[in-house]
Amino acid sequence: MATAKARRRKAANAAFVVFCGAATAIALTFLGAILYTLLKQGLGGINLAIFTQSTPAPGSPGGLANAIVGSLMLCAAAMVVAIVVGVLAGTWLAEYGGSSWYARTVRFVNDVLLSAPSILVGLFVYEIMVKRGIHGFSGWAGAMALALLAAPTVTRITEDVLKLQPPALREAGIALGAPVWTTIRRILWRAAGAGIVTGGVLAFARISGETAPLLFTALNNQFFSLDMGKPMANLPVVIFNFALSAYDDWRRLAWVGAVLIAAAVLACQIVVRLLLREPRRS
Amino acid sequence: MNVHAREEFETYVADMSATPLKLEVRDLEFFYGKTRALHGISLPIATNKVTALIGPSGCGKSTLLRAMNRIYDLYPGQRASGRILLDGEDLLQERDLTSLRARIGMVFQKPTPFPMSIYDNVAFGLQMHERLSRKQERERVEEALRRSALWDEVKDKLNDSGLGLSGGQQQRLCLARSIAVRPEVLLLDEPASALDPISTAKLEETISELKGDYTIVIVTHNLQQAARVADYTGFMYLGRLIEFDETSCIFTKPHCARTSDYVTGRFG
Repeated sequence: MATAKARRRKAANAAFVVFCGAATAIALTFLGAILYTLLKQGLGGINLAIFTQSTPAPGSPGGLANAIVGSLMLCAAAMVVAIVVGVLAGTWLAEYGGSSWYARTVRFVNDVLLSAPSILVGLFVYEIMVKRGIHGFSGWAGAMALALLAAPTVTRITEDVLKLQPPALREAGIALGAPVWTTIRRILWRAAGAGIVTGGVLAFARISGETAPLLFTALNNQFFSLDMGKPMANLPVVIFNFALSAYDDWRRLAWVGAVLIAAAVLACQIVVRLLLREPRRS
Repeated sequence: MNVHAREEFETYVADMSATPLKLEVRDLEFFYGKTRALHGISLPIATNKVTALIGPSGCGKSTLLRAMNRIYDLYPGQRASGRILLDGEDLLQERDLTSLRARIGMVFQKPTPFPMSIYDNVAFGLQMHERLSRKQERERVEEALRRSALWDEVKDKLNDSGLGLSGGQQQRLCLARSIAVRPEVLLLDEPASALDPISTAKLEETISELKGDYTIVIVTHNLQQAARVADYTGFMYLGRLIEFDETSCIFTKPHCARTSDYVTGRFG
């Protein structure tokens, strides 16, 4: 009787393992297919001109320099805002807010923002910044939209890693006569540093490929421009425009752009892995 | 808890009127929210002596210790009533907690080195309270590390992370960090419970060397440890101080039956 039971258990286990394995295989197949297509279509187009020339008119040679630089500038400006707001908000939630009514509300709203559709964020910035002519279509508007997407991630991760720090660490700082704020700044932030940076890198990876919030904020720019007050070229919108165009050379450039973004995200993930591998260096 | 609250507790607190007292706990009650954790504790702490607090888990030893430097203030909902006199002044009424904690240092159960270099760990508290030249600061750091018997082990790697030290070294680093501020009182909350026997012996040696200059209060689960390092010992049970006396009396001829049962291992 016991053996029959054991056999049934073994069979159930085997079935479950096969089921999980199959599900993983399906996911990996699609991921592999996407990567294969991406590399096959995009890798061949990468050359020096991609990084030195701006987006061309159809039929003429060109590269993605304006979009690459534009994307970097938009993301950098967005991350500055997101990290300042996110780290401070996350710190407040973890160290001061507790379970007060205000903290719980902020936490809830932040979680909602975490999963807010990015196009809504774009529309919101369009309404308050672009349409009212504060800057019109501009790099600043684009950066603001991206910052709104990145800040909730940074906030959440900052709160989480600070809460992971042992309470004794906080008490040890206080017990030496350090004010709470000094203890947070000099001890807790440092202890949680790798985690907070990880949050920043993940947020950066998320916004680097966002198209929707840039469509009606940063718009696009055919020319090389460093002026954040003007419409700004960026990889996602260039990919979006070029991929839907009728011109073969534009579509090739779109594939190259996609490979570049994928490579950037991959690089971010590797950085995160490296940061988390040794959470405490000795 | 309530069942025991009605029980009569036979208590004995030795007369300390002839001894200079650094701290005097008077009728201390402590609350975690609505739960009362300490019931009318009155306890003398002699100047420049080691006082041990012993008792079974949950008896309130750590709570009592945490009242003495007001660390509980960090947590809303925790409060104390009664008085704790530090050199005659009630520290429960103190407003300047930063200075209070410079006078009363604390070392925790688990080593809590800060994520910075060994030197910075020790200098951290100093920088909070005093403006020192680099040279003076170096001297104070060295002095603190020497007194906590860590200097010889770390003098060549002061810029290495404090996290790279062994558990016993980390705990002595925490001790050095507290000593560097030159407190008058040191509160040790089961400082050896996370250490191996050799590190424990070393720490106890250090504590013995420190008394004379510091008033030390140590919470411990380890009765032998109390017997080894303490001049006075208080036995606590269910949030009450049952007996307080010289250590030798507590362990050889206690006045209360419950103390006798505990130190002979019959319960707890």
